[in-house]
Amino acid sequence: MAECQHRWAMINQQFGFTVFEKCSHCQSVRTYFSLHDTWDEYKEGQCHWAIVENAQTFKFDLQCSNCGKVEKFDDLLGLLFCTSCIADCEVEIIRRECAKDRIFILVAFGFLPEAESQPIPERKLQILSDYFNQQRDTSRSRIKIIWFDKIKSLPLCRGEFIHDVGMFSLEAPEERKPLF
Amino acid sequence: MNTKDLVENAGLKALTAVEPRDVSGVFVSDMLSDAMAGAKSGNLWITVQTHKNIVPAANLVDASAVLITSGKNVPQETLDLASQHGITILWTELPTFEMIGKLYALGLVTK
Repeated sequence: MAECQHRWAMINQQFGFTVFEKCSHCQSVRTYFSLHDTWDEYKEGQCHWAIVENAQTFKFDLQCSNCGKVEKFDDLLGLLFCTSCIADCEVEIIRRECAKDRIFILVAFGFLPEAESQPIPERKLQILSDYFNQQRDTSRSRIKIIWFDKIKSLPLCRGEFIHDVGMFSLEAPEERKPLF
Repeated sequence: MNTKDLVENAGLKALTAVEPRDVSGVFVSDMLSDAMAGAKSGNLWITVQTHKNIVPAANLVDASAVLITSGKNVPQETLDLASQHGITILWTELPTFEMIGKLYALGLVTK
């Protein structure tokens, strides 16, 4: 039996918030998805966690419309686009190389800190790229999604997540805050 | 209808070079996440958002153009990024509701 040529569609969309919180004691960063707009601060041992950013976003899964196979993406925090902030960052090097072929690079993040030791498998990143490419006119350009471990330095990275900040404010933020 | 016809027929101002694309329909939202979840390839994305992040979002969903309504000022860095990625940014002084009415009268609908 021939292997299915998957045709992916977005399912199980759930709108909510991506929360970035940082500990003022150890400087660690945690991220999670919340259904609610939360700005809580709390202590946990010596750590004092405070929210750095709370952005509106959505979760989803992908399903093949040919065979019904479902790929869950509940481990995906979001997609970041490279702003070319560090010339010798591997993401920027890949971005420059791919731009020649009109391939647009986006960086996938999982939830921190778990994602640093448990990356989203390359197979799933390829499925995500396939999904976005199947939706577009690929004769003009393509999407390639890579994992965030190629970022040279998270604290120095000025890439920007494609999510919504300040949507509950009447004033749009002039600049986005550093998240890491 | 293509993007060049759209500019002419709807009386829009092009803030970047107009990439010749067929306009498959219209998607209206001021949220990037909403556009990522719902906009379709070739859609004209109507928004009042002008942050440069509209460019990667528009690119991701393969929007034919982004139309900024209500006369919102668009930062130069947004236009520079759009030009770099071949995303057409259009602009009108009309509020979103009036602009949508005009586009509907021209035969554009949500697809």
